[in-house]
Amino acid sequence: MLNEDKIKLMTGIAMFEKREGKRIFPVNRYFRSDYISRYMFRSFFSYTICYLLCALIWVLYHMEQLLNTLDIGELIEAGKYAAFLYGAGLFLYLIITWLVYRRRYEYSKRGMKVYMAKLKRLEKRYEFQNRARELSKEGGRHDRTSRN
Amino acid sequence: MIVLLEIKERLKSFYGRFAALMDALMKFAVSLAALILMNGNLGYLVKLKNPLIMLGLAAVCAFVPYGAISFLLGAVLLGHIYTVSIEFALLAGVFLVLIALLYYGLQPRDGYWLILTPIAFALRVPFVIPLLAGLSGSLVGVIPVCCGVAVYYIMLYVKQNAGVLTNDAAVDITEKYVQLIRGLVSNQTMMVMIAVCALGILVVYLIRLLSVDYAWILAIVFGSVSQMAMVFAGDYLFGVQMPLQELLVGTLISLLIAGIYHFFVFAVDYSRTEYTQFEDDDYVYYVKAVPKVVVSRPDVRVQRINNPQKARRSGRRESEARL
Repeated sequence: MLNEDKIKLMTGIAMFEKREGKRIFPVNRYFRSDYISRYMFRSFFSYTICYLLCALIWVLYHMEQLLNTLDIGELIEAGKYAAFLYGAGLFLYLIITWLVYRRRYEYSKRGMKVYMAKLKRLEKRYEFQNRARELSKEGGRHDRTSRN
Repeated sequence: MIVLLEIKERLKSFYGRFAALMDALMKFAVSLAALILMNGNLGYLVKLKNPLIMLGLAAVCAFVPYGAISFLLGAVLLGHIYTVSIEFALLAGVFLVLIALLYYGLQPRDGYWLILTPIAFALRVPFVIPLLAGLSGSLVGVIPVCCGVAVYYIMLYVKQNAGVLTNDAAVDITEKYVQLIRGLVSNQTMMVMIAVCALGILVVYLIRLLSVDYAWILAIVFGSVSQMAMVFAGDYLFGVQMPLQELLVGTLISLLIAGIYHFFVFAVDYSRTEYTQFEDDDYVYYVKAVPKVVVSRPDVRVQRINNPQKARRSGRRESEARL
């Protein structure tokens, strides 16, 4: 027989899974520090690639100037400046990454709690149903024995 | 008003019934519009101008997320630019890779702004984008919208300088890069429009969140006013001119579109606002509850009391039974 309560619960859970599942489930396989550092690692690489690309554009823009006045001292100065820019930018970008993914991790933890609560309710529903069935069976046996 | 609300309810239930199909159609329409505009304005890669290829690409776009659509459209854009000038394609490519890695590396789900912004600019209604972005999203929306503005001006630059860009024999390659980068970075119209968009989103977002009556309408109006003020400031400070007629018409259309969006997303009745106050152990709550405007969908059923056909049929049946 159809159990309307259970169907409602399961539909709710399925909808929750569909809406939030993609965001929540992958996150919960990691500890917070692992999750965040994984993305910070990725950010480090993407920032470095972007920095190199920007440096390439910069070199192309100043190519003539660089070739005309090839002075070691000036180059070292420019290198120091570039290293400083790289470090500062990387620091800023990693902080942004950290903030974004920390927030996302906490969001998905909260979502997981809601999901678990929903599952628990469903489980209780099952337990209740099973117990009711067992009780009615026992009752039936009892009746039969008493009749015999 | 009631009629509009009924139409809204009908549209909502219609969307509810065909949500997946409508989403796909929407993506198809957006990407087709983007492709048509790109081919119309740039169109240097003649192979891509074939309507069948355009339709095929748009059909693919209908079934992929907005991030992938941006990627595909970015590739088409680079293809067009590459036909004109390899150097400029490199610059545009670097710009797109920067956006992809630095911003979309953080997995935000707002790739559509990157596509919609150039479309709105090409359709001469640029002011609608900040209004919608401020109403629908958060302040982070500033980044994709501003990148979209930059993408539009990159396209415009290619369109306006196609002759110079293709004629590469005369200029030294390094000089060419210098020229291109200078042409892009010193484009003051682009800078002013980026500032206009950023200010528009900021104003709309901040006013929308206020707990005053008619906050959304105020946000739309003040957002538009601040955008126009920024355009005038750009005109005054940097001499960036915008035709007055285009500005006014564009703003009016933007107001209209933002109004429609507001009607569909945030229809509340401020005249029935309730204020209540209560407290628990830790806090005192001052609650302002504004009811949403809800109209039940008219369920029209025609009950024919005196149906001549039916009566005739039943009469015949009775006579047959008697026979």
